[in-house]
Amino acid sequence: MSATGTCEYQPKDYKSDLKPIWCPGCGDFSVVQGIYRALAAVGRPPHEIAFVSGIGCSSRIPGYTTAYGFNSVHGRSLPIAQGIKMANPDLLVLAAGGDGDGFSIGGGHIAHLIRRNMDITYIVMDNQIYGLTKGQLSPTSQKGRVTCTSRFGSLEEPVNPLLYVLAYGAGFVAQASPTDLVGMAAVIEEAIRYPGFAFVNIQSPCVTYGEEGQQIKGLKAISESLSALGHNPADRLAAMDLAQHYGSKMHLGVFYRNPEPPPTYGDLVKERQALLSKDALPKERILDLFIKK
Amino acid sequence: MRKDLVFGMAGSGGDGIVSAGDSLLQAAAAEGYHGVMTKSFGSQIRGGESSCRVRISTTPILNPGGNLDVAVALNWEDFLKFGAELPVSGTTVVIYEAATGIKESEIPLVGVTPLQVIAVPIAAMAKETAGTERAKNTVVLGLIAGWFGIGAVAVMKGIRKKLAKKGEELVEANQRAFDAGRAFAMEHPLKASMNVVPSETKGNVKLITDGNDMCAAAAIFAGCQFFGGYPITPSTEIMQFFTDQVWKYGGSVLQAEDEIAGIGAAVGASFAGKKSMTATSGPGLSLKSEMMGLASIAELPLVIVDVQRGGPSTGLPTKTEQSDLFAAAFSAHGDVIRPVLAPTSVADMFRITIEAFNIAEYYQTPVIVLSDQEIAARKETLDPIDTTQFKIINRLVPSGADLQDYKRFKQTDNHISPISHPGMLGGTYLASGIEHVESGAPTNSGNVHQRMNDKRTKKFDPLKDRKDLFEVTGNPNAPIAMVAWGSIAGVCREALEMAEAEGLNVKLLVPYLLYPVAEGVYNDFFASVQKGLVIEQTHLAQTFKLLRMHVDLPKGLKSLARSGANPFLPSEIVAALKTLVSELQRSHEGNLQPQE
Amino acid sequence: MAIQGIDFAKLSLKDALDLAILIEDEAQERYEDFASQMEQHRTPEAARFFRYMVENEAKHGRELSSRRLQLFGDAPRSVTPSMIFDIEAPDFDAARAFMTPRMAMEAALASEVKAHAFFVSALPALQDLEVRALFEELRDEEIEHQHLVKIELAKLPPDSRLSEEDFVDEPAPQ
Repeated sequence: MSATGTCEYQPKDYKSDLKPIWCPGCGDFSVVQGIYRALAAVGRPPHEIAFVSGIGCSSRIPGYTTAYGFNSVHGRSLPIAQGIKMANPDLLVLAAGGDGDGFSIGGGHIAHLIRRNMDITYIVMDNQIYGLTKGQLSPTSQKGRVTCTSRFGSLEEPVNPLLYVLAYGAGFVAQASPTDLVGMAAVIEEAIRYPGFAFVNIQSPCVTYGEEGQQIKGLKAISESLSALGHNPADRLAAMDLAQHYGSKMHLGVFYRNPEPPPTYGDLVKERQALLSKDALPKERILDLFIKK
Repeated sequence: MRKDLVFGMAGSGGDGIVSAGDSLLQAAAAEGYHGVMTKSFGSQIRGGESSCRVRISTTPILNPGGNLDVAVALNWEDFLKFGAELPVSGTTVVIYEAATGIKESEIPLVGVTPLQVIAVPIAAMAKETAGTERAKNTVVLGLIAGWFGIGAVAVMKGIRKKLAKKGEELVEANQRAFDAGRAFAMEHPLKASMNVVPSETKGNVKLITDGNDMCAAAAIFAGCQFFGGYPITPSTEIMQFFTDQVWKYGGSVLQAEDEIAGIGAAVGASFAGKKSMTATSGPGLSLKSEMMGLASIAELPLVIVDVQRGGPSTGLPTKTEQSDLFAAAFSAHGDVIRPVLAPTSVADMFRITIEAFNIAEYYQTPVIVLSDQEIAARKETLDPIDTTQFKIINRLVPSGADLQDYKRFKQTDNHISPISHPGMLGGTYLASGIEHVESGAPTNSGNVHQRMNDKRTKKFDPLKDRKDLFEVTGNPNAPIAMVAWGSIAGVCREALEMAEAEGLNVKLLVPYLLYPVAEGVYNDFFASVQKGLVIEQTHLAQTFKLLRMHVDLPKGLKSLARSGANPFLPSEIVAALKTLVSELQRSHEGNLQPQE
Repeated sequence: MAIQGIDFAKLSLKDALDLAILIEDEAQERYEDFASQMEQHRTPEAARFFRYMVENEAKHGRELSSRRLQLFGDAPRSVTPSMIFDIEAPDFDAARAFMTPRMAMEAALASEVKAHAFFVSALPALQDLEVRALFEELRDEEIEHQHLVKIELAKLPPDSRLSEEDFVDEPAPQ
């Protein structure tokens, strides 16, 4: 198929041969299934997809797909994803990581990716713990949570990832979970299709270090569908109001979708390139710029 | 009867093989032995391949050991994954799971014929006695008690204690599994007895701990009141120890949002007058470089522990290496000298960490402690340490006179200025990364810059005379030498013993202070040396090159360097030394030939 | 378990057969994933059982495929894998490191029960008589599969009352 053309792809076409190191029962298995299905629905060939991640259990995910993967360094998937997208705007660029990778060390980068509105989809697998390094506190852990680095209970309020991105003005914000597989695949697909920066927070339980109440059963108990609540995703303030329940309720679906998506950074860059290219000196004559007229 | 045994055991995370090693170490300590245990894993969080080595001895142990005396393989696929970490030789007794279906004459060890090979129905015994195959590890402990005389009583005592809360049924199940293993061993005695002689120090108190916990405990002892850091394998346990303990001493600990914030908070705590530290591994050290430079120019005391792992970048997070030396010495732009210390074992980690704080406080500088994954994660038994022998040094506080017209960066004879902190009346100053005059005010004057650089580098001159931060063993006039640091020093100490036992004339230099390079100490050491090896676990031979930058090395001094996760064996070092001895003899004979 | 985009009232026999094949495919792939996870995490007995289930699902898939071939040749499919989620495939959450063969079989049993429930719930909406017959057949087969798993379960000795976690090593930091 030609570049940017779409074909009939099955979810299996996006699944690589690398066997995940995740513990059996890990929520990330369902998430990667959701990603395979979303990509099949969107239909871009695997070789036209760049999938960047940071460090953590969930950051292993690019290796389990047939896309061009980049399992980079802790917290820096977004700068690298931005570079990829700017270099080749026609690629489908995805970024993924955990709550620590994204909201602790990576926290400083999210605001800027949002305000640049690059057409990148960022998927965070939020399990309120640092799994890979053996169970330390994460920025989304509840206050009072006992972990290896908070044996007497955490003294900090958690970050609210949903409010964080909504407040910075993200154009597409959703939350999903393996408790609702159809919803999760649908929301990932919608995020990929959204023309601009799109954020999906996925409550994906850690079966090894997560608390009992945070496993699939516990999540189902606090789960509520945003569409069933009658939420209007074009209303940012209503979205922010609902987002405040992060931690006590798990709202699933689209919190916010900009009804009139502004031009993406890539659109604006293309526009500028088109405007200025006529002024380009031939490269061999570039030094003419230094000739005093 | 043996004085020393090295066990190597491998299986999967589900086999509890590391728990078994732990129990064995605890039991050995209870029986008065010295012991060391190291662990190694695959990349799964749970049931991946898993191994441990336990060395038990009647004398203090220098190093986790080379070739195994006893190899226990619960399955061959996992055992072989550990390659050179579990070396089997002609003197090894191999015990393996009969359920693997492999005949004793056909075990998959290429090119080696072990001393004895025994298939044991470990899983079946576990199933029969404890009702689950997962009690394999306890059966193994029973076999070890029966065949090698270690832990006959102490193992079950330890297991009882550990499982007491989980119920009598579990304890009984383990007891039956243990007894079955022991009975099997008694019924199938080894061809040659390998019992370890009873220890003469039974009943003495023994500490058991690992490098990370020891480092944290030493820091608190030295008066560290603040820890700022971020989780990273294999250093996270240092932060975890602080989160358990430091509150009790009026201090605090912050798991910051990232590595830079972690060291930033520690720099802040130091500015505020408290002894502070951070800990990390390679990737974190790279991130922290800017802050380290800031602490250097602002002349703020700070201890940074780097628990080295395989690099570069994410590298090999669970394997040891020594390749952060260049980064420790040279990270951060500009002309900076930053002391680098390296412990060689869990035992001297206590002393070296205290030394790091003393040097940091005295010289008002960041100091890097280069630990490594091997020392950090290995458990050692230790004789109690007399903490009263250690002197604690605090930063130079301004006197009343100093505080009249206080100048933070006042030039003094030894280039060290009294340092104030917020809250001290009369001591207000501006700390910054920008170049500054004596008062701390910013400057861009070339003259001042030259003088300040002089101050900040010359202040470290006395460090180069610290002979107590170097260890020389063997014949001081030997013509053949080894240089090694960190966990490799232990391997070389054992190699030295073996070489001397064979009549070789060699000596070993172990630097605890790696940077600044103490040229005088090295010159003295190399005076008699004609041939030698700088032995290190770095692909680029970083130590060799660092020495070459500062010291006129003997022509015959060569590098023996390899990447991490590839251990050195004492025997291979002895072989390399023997080669040097022959080369030396030949060249002497050559020199004695009559001239044409 | 979930579906999307399936109109049972309008379901043709071709689509129904294709759906049934996709259901078996999905289950086969899931058991394959589970077997692989168990092997990665050194839980060989559970792995063996899951490989046995892979074979079962493959066999059912083959039977349905040959029927489909006979009736409809290689006419293009109009149903896609994205229309079904975990119908007969066990939930990912059902796997655990160190799971016993009993736990593995119970996961398989739960899946057969799930699949049975799917066919039962679909029946009232079906209009086409041949499709009804097919779904009734598949529903009854699920009962047969449950029966087979129960036989295997009965062969097992009871699990030790002790928990796996009491024996295994702590997780390893990476």
